[in-house]
Amino acid sequence: MKIGRRAGPLAAAPAMLLLATGFLVPVLIVFAFSLLPPRTFGWTGELTLSNYSTAFTDGYWRNLAWSCMLAALTTVLCLLLAWPAAKALHRLAGHRATAVTLAIALPIFISESVRLFGMALFLMPGGGILAGTLDAVFGISVGTILNTRIAALLGLVYIHFPFVLFPTLLGFSLLPNDQVEAARDLGASGWQVFREIELPLAAPGALTGALFCFVLSLGAYAEMSILGGQAVTVITRAIEQRFNYAQDWPLGAGLTMLVIALTAIVVFPFLRRVDIDRLIHR
Amino acid sequence: MARSDRSGDIILSTRNVTKRYGQVEAVRELTLEIRDGEFFTIVGPSGSGKSTLIRMLGGLEAPTTGSVWLRDEDITHVPANRRPTCMVFQSLALFRHRSVGENIEFAQKMRGVPPGERRRHALEMMRIVRLPDSYYNRRIHQCSGGEQQRVALARALASDPTILFFDEPLSAIDYRLRKILEVEMKDLHRRTGKTFVYITHSLEEAMVMSDRISIMRDGNIVQTGTPRDIYSRPGSRFVAQFMGEVNVFEIREGRIASPEADVSAIGRHGYLVLRPEHLRRLDGQDAADVRFEAIVESEYMLGSRLQYHLRAGDASLVAEIPIPAATGVTPGITARWGFDLADATLTED
Repeated sequence: MKIGRRAGPLAAAPAMLLLATGFLVPVLIVFAFSLLPPRTFGWTGELTLSNYSTAFTDGYWRNLAWSCMLAALTTVLCLLLAWPAAKALHRLAGHRATAVTLAIALPIFISESVRLFGMALFLMPGGGILAGTLDAVFGISVGTILNTRIAALLGLVYIHFPFVLFPTLLGFSLLPNDQVEAARDLGASGWQVFREIELPLAAPGALTGALFCFVLSLGAYAEMSILGGQAVTVITRAIEQRFNYAQDWPLGAGLTMLVIALTAIVVFPFLRRVDIDRLIHR
Repeated sequence: MARSDRSGDIILSTRNVTKRYGQVEAVRELTLEIRDGEFFTIVGPSGSGKSTLIRMLGGLEAPTTGSVWLRDEDITHVPANRRPTCMVFQSLALFRHRSVGENIEFAQKMRGVPPGERRRHALEMMRIVRLPDSYYNRRIHQCSGGEQQRVALARALASDPTILFFDEPLSAIDYRLRKILEVEMKDLHRRTGKTFVYITHSLEEAMVMSDRISIMRDGNIVQTGTPRDIYSRPGSRFVAQFMGEVNVFEIREGRIASPEADVSAIGRHGYLVLRPEHLRRLDGQDAADVRFEAIVESEYMLGSRLQYHLRAGDASLVAEIPIPAATGVTPGITARWGFDLADATLTED
């Protein structure tokens, strides 16, 4: 039984090592940089919190607010799309559901940049696929939403939708059909079934998806720069600018730590409330 | 809750109801009448269509053709949540994210009844099904199988339905508890006076609880009657065999071939059906309409009775004798056996 007791930690060891070197060490380095004086690249013997105060006084809170707002909007839109889609897929079951699920999942296997550039080509004014086709076929001249906040939001929803759909579908798989039937049989209307049965039972899956979506959207960069252009500067773009153009690594690191802290504030209370064991059928 | 004073009126009926799933006909041209206040059981083997039928009666499935009537009202297309009926599911379908009390109050909550009144009503229902008040705040997973059964019953009763449907609710319960709950269900039916429509594949359950039984086969009803009628006067070999062990003899020109006997007094063609308890061992000059010798091949203990498997010529027969009367019958012996035609039933198919 000695081997049995050791099997778990031994099996988890490679992943733990990867997490330690690939996640924990870089985070510690970024944290160390965030405490250095502005525009320094190495140890000067001085530690400061000025990067954190700058983050709030130099207007970076606006970038953070835009990131949060777009991430929240993306999450809400993805949830609104994913809930009925997951319900329909759950009801379909069998081969048809597999085909639809595959159709939704396939884009995940294509590079995110390729998909985003494809969308940019689609939305491009004049010679873009949408505008060009409308002009050539119907003689209709339309503007474009490319390089706007709407385009960025569209891209965020497009990229992150599967991350909400599949956990939501998993949540629906925990919802026994006989409980819905029993509720209907006991006099519940469609809305009451949703409120009393579907929502509490399928919500853990949807909330897990929403969490993925919010965290990934908060850290999204490509959607903003490829589809949003200069329309909005989100926090990830501000961080990238601090590291590259401004050559101010400590401020970039400070902003990064704020994003990590914000993510933790969202994630940890959620993890304490949701029964992950139940979600993975243990 | 008092017994209905309309007992005997037809409360629920179907007229030529058919349900198709693609090419499969689960229920075909079925007509049925259920009386107000009775305990009506539909029995049939797996795949006979009984669950589909009860789901149509409860509004959980719509018939492909035909109609369902509640007294004089056509309720064929009335959804489950607008019917004065309630179902106790095979799985019980208790809401595991709600407490016992919340489960029982569910129907009243959906109707907008204030919380205090709901709680009083739920506690009353819990007393009816003999659940202690202290269970009100328990989670469903903290209740045993039998207690969960009672919660499901209380939840159904709390919606104050005119008719209660039961879709094999005792099928997953161990024998001892099932016997207790069978008696409790019958008692509950008597105390509430409501119409109970029960589905089961267990003949025993049907016999213990029911006022009337319908036997289903291949999507239709082959016989309806009291348990005693169906057991002692089966309308076909299928019903006879479904209702328990039975001896079947083919009658040709008024005779059965093995054991050879003249049975023209009962009929000239068809099948003679005889329950094993009516096949007697004959001693000395004991009289019987049909008498023959048979070898005792094996013996099985059935509690208060012994079952014997006999061979008489080409025929395999089964007899059951109360234990005090069974002395002297052992496997391997040849003995005289017989039966009276008055105890047998003639069926056409």
